Amino acid sequence: MHSMETRRKVERIVVHVVLIFFSIIMLVPFIWMLLTAFKSVSEATQIDPFVIFPTVWTSEAFSKVWSNMNFLLLYKNTLLLIFWRVVCAVLTATLAGYAFGRLEFKGKNFMFSLVLFQMMIPAQIFIIPQYLMVSKIGMTNTIFALVFPGIVTAFGTFLLKTAYMGLPVSLEEAARLDGCNIFQSFLFIMSPLTRSSMVALGIFTAVFAYKDLMWPLVVNSSANMMPLSAALATMQGQYQSNYPQLMAASAIACVPMIVLYLLFQKQFIEGIATSGGKL
Amino acid sequence: MKKRLISALMVSAMCLSLTACGGSGGDSSDGGSSGGSSSGALRVAIWDNNQQPGIQEICDLFTEETGIEVQVEVKEWDSYWTLLEAGASGGDMPDVFWMHANNSQIYMNNDMLLKLDDYIDKSDKIDMSKYLPQVTALYTYDDSYYAIPKDYDTIALWYNKTMFDEAQMEYPNENWTWDDMYEAAKKLTDKDAKKYGYAMNVTNDQDSYWNMIYSKGGYVLSEDHKTSGYDDAKTLEAMEFVGKLLTDVCPPASVMAETQTDILFESGTVAMITQGSWMVPAFKQNEYTAEHCDVAMLPYDKETGIRATICNGLGWAAAASTKRPDDCWKLIEWLGSEEMQFKQAELGVTMSAYEGTSDAWAGNTDLFDLTGHLAMAEESTVEGVENLIVEYPFTYNAVKWTSQCQKDLVPAWDDPSQMEDKCKEFAKTMNDIIASESK
Amino acid sequence: MTNSKSEAKAPAKQKMTTWEKNQLFWGWLFIIPTMAGLIILNLYPIVNTIYQSMCKTGDFGKGNVFVGFANFSRMFGDSEVWQALINTIKYAIIEVPFSICFALVLAVLLNRKMVGRSAYRAIFFLPMIVAPAAVAMVWRWLYNSQFGLLNNLFGLKVEWISNPKIAWISIAVIGVWSILGYNIVLFISGLQEIPHDYYEAADIDGASGIQAFFNITVPLLSPTIFFVLITRVIGALQVFDLIYMVMDQSNKALPKVESLVYLFYRESFDFGDKGYGSTIVVLLLAVILVVTVFQMIGQKKWVHYE
Repeated sequence: MHSMETRRKVERIVVHVVLIFFSIIMLVPFIWMLLTAFKSVSEATQIDPFVIFPTVWTSEAFSKVWSNMNFLLLYKNTLLLIFWRVVCAVLTATLAGYAFGRLEFKGKNFMFSLVLFQMMIPAQIFIIPQYLMVSKIGMTNTIFALVFPGIVTAFGTFLLKTAYMGLPVSLEEAARLDGCNIFQSFLFIMSPLTRSSMVALGIFTAVFAYKDLMWPLVVNSSANMMPLSAALATMQGQYQSNYPQLMAASAIACVPMIVLYLLFQKQFIEGIATSGGKL
Repeated sequence: MKKRLISALMVSAMCLSLTACGGSGGDSSDGGSSGGSSSGALRVAIWDNNQQPGIQEICDLFTEETGIEVQVEVKEWDSYWTLLEAGASGGDMPDVFWMHANNSQIYMNNDMLLKLDDYIDKSDKIDMSKYLPQVTALYTYDDSYYAIPKDYDTIALWYNKTMFDEAQMEYPNENWTWDDMYEAAKKLTDKDAKKYGYAMNVTNDQDSYWNMIYSKGGYVLSEDHKTSGYDDAKTLEAMEFVGKLLTDVCPPASVMAETQTDILFESGTVAMITQGSWMVPAFKQNEYTAEHCDVAMLPYDKETGIRATICNGLGWAAAASTKRPDDCWKLIEWLGSEEMQFKQAELGVTMSAYEGTSDAWAGNTDLFDLTGHLAMAEESTVEGVENLIVEYPFTYNAVKWTSQCQKDLVPAWDDPSQMEDKCKEFAKTMNDIIASESK
Repeated sequence: MTNSKSEAKAPAKQKMTTWEKNQLFWGWLFIIPTMAGLIILNLYPIVNTIYQSMCKTGDFGKGNVFVGFANFSRMFGDSEVWQALINTIKYAIIEVPFSICFALVLAVLLNRKMVGRSAYRAIFFLPMIVAPAAVAMVWRWLYNSQFGLLNNLFGLKVEWISNPKIAWISIAVIGVWSILGYNIVLFISGLQEIPHDYYEAADIDGASGIQAFFNITVPLLSPTIFFVLITRVIGALQVFDLIYMVMDQSNKALPKVESLVYLFYRESFDFGDKGYGSTIVVLLLAVILVVTVFQMIGQKKWVHYE
């Protein structure tokens, strides 16, 4: 019994060491972003000697970008973009994922191969044709235009299909015997069980929407309809960038994502509390 | 079964409209604010964030004068061209925008730009002879004008005063020849201490070795824009000099590729670089260069007596498809007018293309003596030396061969003894590319 | 573990039962929004790309001339394309297995009840939202041969991103790093669907953590692993941003690193040759298609659905 305890303790320490090691590696660019934001312009590009910590901490970059950019408007555009993309993606992908994962019907395999096929194409080829569609219906410079390519998601459909396929068959059979039709058993029995995959899809959709750069730049050229990523990109000049300001703006831009994450994380933890799990 | 089918169709139609609503719902909450501003205002697109405040100020004055609203949109370089191309391919283009020599030929050839001839004839503000002819030429096609020159740029020699002081050497000046520059760079190079006299990456064509080629009597592109000059004897001589610089006074090629040359300069590891006047805002903004650096004219060649700078410039163009060509012209006329060209120079936005505006630009900062850049495009004051202003070498699709050149010469940068072979090889490639350009 | 698929398929030959009709109805109803969206948004551009690959394209999408397989024969003779294909595959061979293994181990560790779990999770999430410019800056300086942190810290003289023999690995390392967070999120969500009692039973039997990992976690997580594998292979074969941001055009190692999408981007957007760019996309598509089909066939051997 005693040896078991020590084994557990050693195991725990090893786990923390591994996690801390990876945490540091993962955090480097984030910390770098913050450090650069507090540097002067020349220190930011200094290479010899290589400057890690700013010699003088200056928040000038922060105050400059805050006054130059309308962050509240950018937050609003970004949050609307994320909100509609997440709603659309989770809704359509849950329905389609369930159908592909749990039902048998004619044409299913062909349709699913189309979904996979879409994922195989580099996204760059979609930009111009989709821009022309939005432009033809006169919807450029709107939130709709921002959301447009993310109304459906092949990735999410595949993700939720996988989640539904992993659920036990017995659940659905029981529901069917109780007289549920397919829609009812989907809505009340099956979909609640894939909540963590939906949350994962939500996170992905939000992060991709947040980082999506080329599309918003092309489709919403008006400054007051841009999301954060596009507004940040315009800060980079053709020949040079003011790195402290760029990084300060990026740091300010992270705020809504961190807030969203904290909200999502709660969902995550709850999921664990019910199913649990240990090594 | 039939009933089923119909109801299935109906429900699916509902589903579709539901997804559509999802999107448009977001739009309707915001449509008001965007619709109002874009319908009445002329859309102006530019790519340089540094110039935005100045351009905005000039456009605001235009609105005051004419009552026409203007909305200036800044894009980042890559997406600027993606957007413009997408717009030209069938979407909507911005009304008024910047043109660049690399792309102007394609746009003019395909009738994407508003032809300005009639407007210019009628205008009392625009006289094309007042602009730097090298820039005007970039936007002239079949003897028609498609853009009004906005600015021009020249290349000059930027140097680190502190490094020269420490070595107790004389600063670069207008009497320097390329050999003087080489000797100075050699003295300033200490490879063990990672200090170098000069830096020039293979991508620094316009701002470094092209100027040396023309100074030494060679050429990059023939005057009829049809054949490569990379196999010309004089060009090869110039490229041999480039190889000498690379071997003796420059950081290793991989270092210059990993760290751009301007960053090496801004970090005080390189004593001299040749750079374009477009870098002035960046060097002003950087505390290190602001304190330690200054600029002089490019050296000339002892044998030819030529001091050469490539000269490029942007133009203000309008979309051929614009719904308000007259308003567009009014704005372009305003931006190209003598008064506003002065204003642009004064604000330090860029050097203006209009003649006689240079002093206004030189006065925009007292950190550097900018006459080095300006004198490159003026009559020579040094006896026996001719100042040559070289029109930016363009063909129908110049991006393709310039980019190919930057790639094909990489081995020569790595090992300068291959310089001659690689240049000759590239000349052939370049001729093929030009021959295959669709026109 | 019963297979739901074969069970449902068996009676399909006879006349449709109500249950089957129900499935047909609801199945199509559920997939219609997604399929309609994909067809409108993506199918046309795909078909158009395939058509363009057989054209000599004019400027601004006008004046396309059908040239049959001319672009393809040009591509088959273009050694740069084949080199790019090799580069792309080499990149995927590093990125995919490492990012999956690391993420799997980390996800399992993060799924335990322990001190600081939420903090760790937040840390692994943060890099996903950092500005790409910051990511590129950091790595460029870590790798810089003369002034970089790696060489200065360890007193090395390695040209991490300029040596053609090493650069592709250096780029793949960034790839693993930047995709780790995504994979962790997916694995964590998959882990939560594994019932707790399996582990309790294993614990009573005295199985070690490592045994439980291989005997319980991996098989039960296999659908998620399969999903991550498929999407990561596709993603890795489409690598572009990393190379574009970190490697300068004048980098001598670029020919040994540039990927197919990189070439496609250069041809289509920089050189304006949409036709040849499309041809490269079609090649990439063919490669991905083959790899994915093999994975789909292979899954039956190791992926267990309950």
